[in-house]
Formats: sequence, C-alpha cells, structure tokens
Amino acid sequence: MTDPLADLDSEIRDHLEREAQEHVDRGMTPEAARAAALRKFGNVMHVKESARAVWIPAAIDQVVQDLRYAVRMVRRSPGFSAVVILTLAIAIGMNTAVFSVVNAVLLRPLSFPYPERLVWLTASEAGEGFELVGAQDVIGWREATSLDRLVAYDEYDSRVLADGLVLPARLASVSDDFWDLAGATAALGRRPLPGQPEVMLSYPFFERALGANPAIIGAPVQVGNRRGTVVGVLPPAFHVDLVPPASFASLAPHEIDAYYGIVVRPPQNGMVQLFRVVGRLKPGVSIEAARAELLTIRTHTAARNPAIPFKPTQRVLPLRDKLVGPARPTLLILLAAVAAVLLVGCANIASLLLARATARQKELAIRTAVGAGRARMLRQLLIESLVLAVAGGAAGVLVAKACLEVMRRLIPQAVPRLLEASLDGRVLAFALAVSVVTALGFGIAPVFSVWKINAFDVLKDGTRTVSATAASVRVRSWLVTGEVALTLVLLCGAGLLVKSLARITAYPAGFVPQQTLTVTVAYNTNGMQNTEVRRREYAAEVLQRLQGRSGVHAVGMTTNAGGRLRLFVEGVTVPMEERPTVFHSSVSEGYAQAIGMRVASGRWLTDREPEAAFVVNQALARRVFPSEDPVGKRIQVDGPPGATAAAGAKFGTVVGVVADLKYAKLDTAAEPEIFADYRHANPFDMTFVARVDGDPRVTALDLRALVAGIDRSQPVSDVKTVETVLIDSIAPRRFTVFLLGTFAGAALLLALVGIYGVIAYSVSLRTREIGVRMALGAARGDVMRIVLRQGMVIAIVGLVVGTAAALAATRVLTGLLYDVTPGDPATFATVAALVAATALAACCGPALKAARVDPLDALRCE
Amino acid sequence: MSTKDTRVELLQGTLDLLILRTLLLGPAHGHAITRAIEQSSDDVLQVEQGSLYPALHRLLKRRWIAFEHGTSENNRRAKYYRLTPKGRRQLTVETGKWETLAGAIARVLRPV
Repeated sequence: MTDPLADLDSEIRDHLEREAQEHVDRGMTPEAARAAALRKFGNVMHVKESARAVWIPAAIDQVVQDLRYAVRMVRRSPGFSAVVILTLAIAIGMNTAVFSVVNAVLLRPLSFPYPERLVWLTASEAGEGFELVGAQDVIGWREATSLDRLVAYDEYDSRVLADGLVLPARLASVSDDFWDLAGATAALGRRPLPGQPEVMLSYPFFERALGANPAIIGAPVQVGNRRGTVVGVLPPAFHVDLVPPASFASLAPHEIDAYYGIVVRPPQNGMVQLFRVVGRLKPGVSIEAARAELLTIRTHTAARNPAIPFKPTQRVLPLRDKLVGPARPTLLILLAAVAAVLLVGCANIASLLLARATARQKELAIRTAVGAGRARMLRQLLIESLVLAVAGGAAGVLVAKACLEVMRRLIPQAVPRLLEASLDGRVLAFALAVSVVTALGFGIAPVFSVWKINAFDVLKDGTRTVSATAASVRVRSWLVTGEVALTLVLLCGAGLLVKSLARITAYPAGFVPQQTLTVTVAYNTNGMQNTEVRRREYAAEVLQRLQGRSGVHAVGMTTNAGGRLRLFVEGVTVPMEERPTVFHSSVSEGYAQAIGMRVASGRWLTDREPEAAFVVNQALARRVFPSEDPVGKRIQVDGPPGATAAAGAKFGTVVGVVADLKYAKLDTAAEPEIFADYRHANPFDMTFVARVDGDPRVTALDLRALVAGIDRSQPVSDVKTVETVLIDSIAPRRFTVFLLGTFAGAALLLALVGIYGVIAYSVSLRTREIGVRMALGAARGDVMRIVLRQGMVIAIVGLVVGTAAALAATRVLTGLLYDVTPGDPATFATVAALVAATALAACCGPALKAARVDPLDALRCE
Repeated sequence: MSTKDTRVELLQGTLDLLILRTLLLGPAHGHAITRAIEQSSDDVLQVEQGSLYPALHRLLKRRWIAFEHGTSENNRRAKYYRLTPKGRRQLTVETGKWETLAGAIARVLRPV
C-alpha cells in the first residue's frame, strides 16, 4: 500500500471544493460557499494531525516537526550556522583525527592471531639499552611449558640477489615458529619448512621489485649473505607488528621485504647469536606464571654455560606494551589537549547560542503564549543544537580525514602503527558520540534563558528584557573566562614543548649538521675470511677520494656506535657483568673535524697510531674516571672478536677526551662512548662523514655516485645530512609539538573570537548607556577604557585561573620535556603576555565602535 | 432539510460503523461518504466532517478498508475507499454489537 498520508492535503482540498460546490449549486456566492464548507469541516490542521496521529505516535511526529523547524532555523541564519558548524567541524575533526590515532595505536589489537597472548622477552633490565637475547636462552625457553610458540628474529637493511638483480631490501630472519605465530599463509607457493634455508617474499616487494613474476618461486636467491630458495609469496595484506631494532625505532616504518628461515644454534667458541624474541603464552597462562618459569629456565641455562656472563634479570611484557607503550602517555596527553580545544569551541558556541536565545526571546515567548510547553521548547532548542552538532560532526569527519593525511605525510615515523590509523566504524561512532555530547553541552546554555521566559513581560515590552540580557552577558563572560583559562593551559604545554625542542636542537659550536653529509656502506665480504685488511683499505680509499672533491672540506669515517661493549680498565678487577657498557666506534683521523667534535683534553686519534689508541667522551670520563684524568689510562673492550683488534687481548692507551656530542639521537642524555682508531680495528658498517659547502643536496648525489663507483659490489646507503638523521630521531617529539601547537593555536583563535563576541555584544546592548554617558560629558577615551576594562577583566581572571591550572597540568608533560621545568617562568610569562595581547586585540574593535557612538543617535533610537 | 434541533451528533465509535456500512454499497470518496451518511439518515445524523478523515485512517490502519485512486464523475482525481473482506466481516460483528446495544438501551428507556 502506498503511504495513506501522502495525499491527505489534496484529499481535504478536494473535499472542501465539493462541499463548496454544493453550496454554490444551491445559490451561494463562491466566497460564502467556501467559508461555509470550512466551517462545517472544522480545523483543517487539527484534522491532519489527528489523521497523522493514527499512523505516527504524536511524540515522534513532534520530534520530526522539531527537526524540520530546526533545519529551517539553521538555514534561516546562514552566518550564525556557518560559524557554529565551522567551529565544530574543526574541533570535532581534530578530536576524531587524534582518536583515530589512539584507536589504531592503543585500541586496535595487534595484527597477529591471539594478540592478547603475545609477549616480548628480553634478558636485560629496563633502562639498559640492550634488548637482545642470547641463543642459549632462546634454546632454553623453547622448553617452557607456559609458552606455545617462541620466535627468535632480527631485521635489518640489506639486499636480495635474485633473477640477476641486486635489490635493496629490508630483511627479517625468523625462526620456525614465526609462521604460526604470525598466522601467515602463502598467497603463492607455500610456507617455509622448519630448518630449511627458505625465503618468503612480501607481496609489495614481489610486485615492485620482481614484477610479480611467479617464476621466482623455486628460484635460488641470496638474501643478505645467505643463499636460499624462494618458496612463497605472502598475501598483499600481510603485516606483522614486530619490535623493530632500537636504531630503527624512530625511523620511517619499514615493511619487511623478505623473510628467511634461520636455525638458532647453541653458543660455540664464545660466539653467541643474539635475537629479538617474541613468544605466545599458552591459553590461560598468566604472564606472571610465565615470568617465573622463564627465569627458572634461565638460571638452569646459565649453570650449563658458565662461560657466558649471567645476570638474573629479564623482562616479559605484553608485546603491545612494548610496541606502543612509549607512545601511550603522549597520545593520552594529546587526546586531553584536543578535548580541551573542543571545550573551548563549545564555550564559544554556547555563548553564541545564548546571545541568540536572547534575540529570539520574542519568538519563544509567542510560542509559549500559543501553548507550547516548557518541555516542548527545551526539546526544540536541544534538537536545534543537535542539528548543528551533527552537521558540524559530519563536516568534522572530512576535517579528520584531512588531518590524518597531514599527520601521516608529515611525520609517519613518529608513532608506531600510525600508518594503520583510519576512520573505521569505531572512529565514526566516536565522532557521532562527540557531536551528540557536544550538542547537549552547548545546547544547555540557552535552556536556562528560556526557562525564565515570562511571555507576558517579553511581549508587553516589545523589546528584550534588560535583566535577562544582563544575565546572559554575565554567563557569557564566565564562559569566555573559562576559554581563556583553558587556552592558557594548552599554550603553556605547547610552549614548554617548543622550548624543549629548541633546547634539543641548539647545536654546540662547530657542529653543523645541516652541512654534514653521511653515507653508510655495509661492507660486504662476499663470504671471504680475514677481511680486516680489505675493509681498512676500502675505507682508506673512500676517504682519500672524498678528500679531493671540491666543496668538501673535511672527511672522516666512523662505525657509528655500532656496538655496546664492556669496558676493561687495566688494573681494575670487577666481575664481567659489572663492567660498564659503552658505545664503541672505530674512526678515522678526520672524523672529529668532519662531524664537529671538540677535543676537551689530550688529543684526537691519527691514522698512524703505533698501537691501538682510544679517545673517550666526557660522559664516559665522568662515569668511569670520576676523579681521575682518563688520558694515559690503559683500557680495552670485549665484544665480537675483531670489532677492535685491541679488544682481543691487548690494552690500548686513552689519548684524549672529547666533549659529548649528540650526532645520532637528540633527546637522550649523552651515552658513554669510546672511539678507537680504525687502523687497528675491523670496521663493519662504515659511515663516511663529509663537511661540505653549498647546497648539501647537490653534493649528496655527487658523493653517492663517487662512493658507489669505488666498488660496485658494495651496498651504499642514501646520502643524508646529519640533520636529517637527528630530526628523524626526534620525530615523536616533533609530532607532539606540532599537534599540541596546532591545538593551542586553534584554542587561541577560538578564545579571540569568544572575547570579541561577548564584548561586541555587550557594547551593542549598552549603546544607549554609552550615549547617555557621552551626553553627560564622557570623552571617547573614557568610553573606550570602559569597554577595554570589561574585556581585560575577563582576560585577567582567565589568566589567573589558567596559570594555576597550567601549573598543575603541565606536570604531566615532565616526561616529554628536555632541559625545561614544567613550571618554567619564562614560558608562562610569554604565554600570559600572548594571551593578554590577544584579548586586548579582540577588545579593540568593539572599543572603537563604542567610541564612535553618536550620543544623539543612541538616545533617539529606542 | 430538517431544522437544527432535530440533528443528532454521532456517538463516539459509531462513525466507524457507519463508514463501513456506507462502503458496503461500493467504493466512495470522503465527501461522498459524509453525504451518504447524512442522506440515508434523512439528515438526522451530522458527520463532523473533520472527524471523518482520522476515522478513515483508523480503519485503513486496521485493514478493514483500503483505498485506491480513481477519477470521479466530473473527471477529478479522487481517493476512493472500499471495504476489504476483513472489513466486511467486521461490519457484521459491529452491526451485531450495535443492535445488542440499541436493543438494551431501548429496553431500559421503555416506559414501565
């Protein structure tokens, strides 16, 4: 059946015409006939409503009517609606974008089967940078009854030789359990068999590098230094969340291109393989139970391997905590900050609605007079708010989409899993919920002014009642005061972070990261033995060739803190595990000058040291030689044999101390470092450093070609400025500063609009009063002062409240600050001045308008 | 045409019965239904025309009547209501009830 109500109107019209026609036939005039017909019919509106009520319960029908009315109101004042919807779109959009990141990072489960049962394991304590697990512990832990899968893995950049091509690729070496733990299936071919040197390719790599040619399956390949066979290709959507190596944690998220199976072998001749380890708990096993069992196993393992140093420390954490734990506080702070922006936006809208409710008093009074109940009026006002909020929310989703895109483009490496962020169902539900809550929030304000409406007074006066408007100005002033306070809190937070960033990037004299280029060669021995000499010769050749280039005025080589080794000091006997760990680099003579390192005492290394010689940094000097001069001390380091020839048995002399320099990670304290001359070492990954003139991007291409040309079989990285490396190392910090700064800026803008709105409104209400004052002799300056004072009282109360709140709130930032205290007076003062200036600027317009009031006009107009 | 005094307002609920009875004669549009009720009661019964439409919708909702669009005598489009089989059965039930009620009232009012 079609809608029986569809043609009710025409049906009634038809009825009336027939009735009138009958009267006309009996001799009435058409006008009289129509009137008689209408009289007999009764109230047409009422009839229609009763007919509709048969089908639609009256309450729903009224809501529909209210909705229609609300939409009409929104359309009737497009300026007002645009301001409200725009404010909401920005505020809700930013909230939705941040929530989508929170959702992806903190709420969505990891991309593994049984994500809640996955644990990350290490044998080191918190705070130790070292997180790898020795093969002996991996083998021991495999027997644990609390785990049903245990994966040892590692990942690194190298290359794949396949099909006659040399392809740069990111590789993951994974033990047998990986495939089950990751829930991997093969899109092409099959999964690798246990213990076989078999290789699985990612789909994007298969497509990008190999043209998606299925002939690769079964073909021999070389991945890194290993030979194997490609047995399968993973599905396009395959992705696993593994803990990346520390040195990559802050870099662009690397998708793995190729996975190859490895076997974990027991330690041999003092060589211990090291792995990252992830396990899966058996169903129902608690993490505490697993911890206890794993530690017992380690103790037994240690007893069987007396040669390997043992400390009874370990960490077993949910994998998700390890992956995203560090990002959690930052994200929650950002969420709180962006919610504050929404609150400021709501206060503005509430303030606007209040002003409008006052202006609409007459309309509302008429509605009351013709019988609309209070409840009905409130419902209608709330529905109007809801219509605005939902429109704002819908626009906000578009804004969120754009914001998310900006975040991902700008700083993709800032937050783990950021690239997974998207506007899924949960995020959209969040946006809707925020819109509704917002509508209730700002819709409440005008409700109060409606509650007190006395239809008789309003209609009798014919103008706005003075007491109600005064109350409205008062409420609006409080709202704006709150806005100013919240804005101040946000600005203080952003200010502190900006200052931290400035402190971090204040480079010491002599260090010019933007003019310093680095290029890394992961020297490939192609399976040959005893390659120290070749490595050194290669390094020497590259250095010599770089030296002569025009525009290059200092060149050096470093292995870039490739290992953390234990330090031995001659004549000091302490157990192995209590010896301090230090970063170790093998370097060339030119390195200190090229990177911009300052020698604090003693001298730097040369390329012609008669025996192994060392330079230490001040951080090491402070820690190991707190009350002595390190220069002249005899030291050696352990570590993988060959890392330093001196490390084997011989001690070398400390010849100098250099000032601490953060050349790789900016926002951590300087680590103890030791530099050895490369002529007595066996440099693995060699990073060449060149201080250049002019545009580094131009020189960069030139340098890469030169280095690559020396030995075509060596994989050469891209040439980067040290600044790029440093900037990447503080990506999470820049992300936070960028977002918090944006939020604070948005809040400041909203506060500006808010102050302007309330002051301008107040001036318009007081035109008559101002006219009287001027007529009685007040100068224009006096009038301006009155208006400015009103605005500044709001601002100053807001500043005082905000400063108190900020002092409490910025404490949560402590972990994110660098060399700045949470209550930094300079930051607070700057922010307060900024807010005060903004408030003053907001009041200037209305003040000038007040000063231009013509007393005659003002008095005549009412 | 009878004088105003002799006209009787419809009892609550009886309009539904009268509409059903009227439609037993064949499909009709709203105005025709009013006219028919008034004429067949010799103008004694006055249909408050406005209440006709809510009543029609009440009957539609109970599926006792249905409607279709047709063209009326003077070539105007009109909405014609007709009795459904369910409505026909209901008419018997309602008529029975009415007769019981009318008889009872008549007995009560019969002079002793």
